[in-house]
Amino acid sequence: MDERFSGFGAIILYTITAGMMLFILAPLLLVMAVSVSDSYFVTFPPQGFTLKWYAKVLQDRDFLEAMRLSILLALGTTAGSLLFGVPAAFALVRGRFFGLAAIKGFLLSPLIFPALVTGLALLQVLTKLGSQDARLNLLIGHVVVTSPYVIRTVVTSLQLVDENLEDAARTLGANRLTTFWRVTLPQIASGVAAGGLFAFMVSFDNYPVTMWLANSEYSPVPLVLMRQLVNVFDPSVPAMSTIIILMAMVGVLLLEKLVGLRRALAA
Amino acid sequence: MRSSEVRLDRLSKEYNRTVAVDDVSLTIEPGHMVALLGPSGCGKTTCLRMIAGLIRPTSGDVFVNDKRMTDVPVHRRNVGMLFQNYALFPHLTVEENIAFGLEMRGISKADAARKVGEALNLVQLSSFGKRYPAQLSGGQQQRVALGRALVIEPAMLLLDEPLGALDKGLRESMQVELRALQRRLGLTTVMVTHDQDEALTMADKIVVMRDGKLEQVGSATEIYQRPASKFVAQFIGASNLFQGPVEQRNGSGAVIRVSPELSLQVDQIPSSASDVMVSIRPEAIVVERAGQSPASQRANSVTARVDQAIYRGFVSHYYLKTPSGGQIIVFEQNQSQQAGLRYAVGEEVVARWESPSNHVIARH
Repeated sequence: MDERFSGFGAIILYTITAGMMLFILAPLLLVMAVSVSDSYFVTFPPQGFTLKWYAKVLQDRDFLEAMRLSILLALGTTAGSLLFGVPAAFALVRGRFFGLAAIKGFLLSPLIFPALVTGLALLQVLTKLGSQDARLNLLIGHVVVTSPYVIRTVVTSLQLVDENLEDAARTLGANRLTTFWRVTLPQIASGVAAGGLFAFMVSFDNYPVTMWLANSEYSPVPLVLMRQLVNVFDPSVPAMSTIIILMAMVGVLLLEKLVGLRRALAA
Repeated sequence: MRSSEVRLDRLSKEYNRTVAVDDVSLTIEPGHMVALLGPSGCGKTTCLRMIAGLIRPTSGDVFVNDKRMTDVPVHRRNVGMLFQNYALFPHLTVEENIAFGLEMRGISKADAARKVGEALNLVQLSSFGKRYPAQLSGGQQQRVALGRALVIEPAMLLLDEPLGALDKGLRESMQVELRALQRRLGLTTVMVTHDQDEALTMADKIVVMRDGKLEQVGSATEIYQRPASKFVAQFIGASNLFQGPVEQRNGSGAVIRVSPELSLQVDQIPSSASDVMVSIRPEAIVVERAGQSPASQRANSVTARVDQAIYRGFVSHYYLKTPSGGQIIVFEQNQSQQAGLRYAVGEEVVARWESPSNHVIARH
């Protein structure tokens, strides 16, 4: 083991780390454990082992419809927030214009305001504008909420990119757009990917904004989950949750593999 | 490769009312290498970037072969540029880096591959084409950057402190190499540097800049031997600067009284001058043991005490103090058989020099 991590300090450090891991993971593991419980109510410790709740969930039209909607919504939100967030981040880092700091604060503000308030405000604005399509409203709302995540991660990675690289590309004959695609984007790929992942996940499990903008026809997963929880709290709810947890894990691992691979190539 | 004439016409750049470049006019002849030399913040990099098109001038114009380039965007100017930190694309191999400019010009894959091969040969990196920049040393990276800049057959080459990040030995050999290559290709080149040795080694013409303005433009010899201002005299090499009134005129020259024990005979002096500044290069001064030559009453000669003596290999530096407290710096070439310093600290010596070494500075 490394010399820096030895003796008494190391013991404390490992204990704290293990404690934190347990604190974060235990609830998730609990949910997973309960989801295979062979009983009609959520009980812990789980009784027996069955996959029947998964079978039930995967045949549940409401849930599948909600999954489909949520995934499409999250994909759309990811695309939208990247489309909006990446150029915004570029302007914030490379630009030199009046009110830069104020604009930066404004663009990151949805991170600070309670999402519940943002959702209500959006509902009022969208209603006033006569926007009736719940799917469109959800998309707009989610892009508003997730863009700051993209902006933040992209700003961070852009700040590390040497501006001379862009200047070099331009002297070599690349216009600004080509320079961005061919030189800047590969440098900030990890930031963009991280921002995109954040946007997807935040959109996928967003409740407070979704609650305002959804209707009975278009209900994303968090709403369906909540409804189910209130009506019949059987192990199908943990089963749904487990599916979502697994999905998130696969997403993160995939991205790490992808971006990590690209980083290795560039280094 | 074609050679272009580059002309700056009353070029200025302001940032929020601070003037970075102030009314600079300059002509760079085809095939010449010009060095913009000055301390940091003198506006030399801003100047270079305006020539490249990376910065838009507040006023004034850049002409290349009498064609006005001011409104031509950087990617259409066909300039090759080298940066201090090389600015190689880290995600591309050496070959891909060099091919980038060719690709932007829509050159076919086969032609591009051939040209990349030639460029790699030119910068002596033929076997490194498949590597990534991070796998190369600093010197090799700058060679790749040079290959990348030259392969597009640029109208001019712009160098922004290109060797600043290399260590001394490598830097000096790269200076000579880069200069030889530039001469061979006959490529008009503008270089920015704060290193006077680099400017003296590489440039046909040196442009000394200060506070956004041109301080002096001339060949290495002109700048070194006949500095136009106190700033230039002190910035390029070391100088002994003396100031005093004209004591007596003789023909086109005059005797300048610097202190009770030191007067200077200058051969050329403007007839209107009454109080002048004179610069004497440290290597022009000869040191002798006191008593060997009973000097003092003659001009260009003074008795002094050795205050500091520094042995620096091929040269020794002596800092002398005159009786009235003035300092004189002397550089003396060491002989190969010489055993260290010739004069010890505290020793009384006579410093003297020839009158042509006295250079009157016009502006001070």
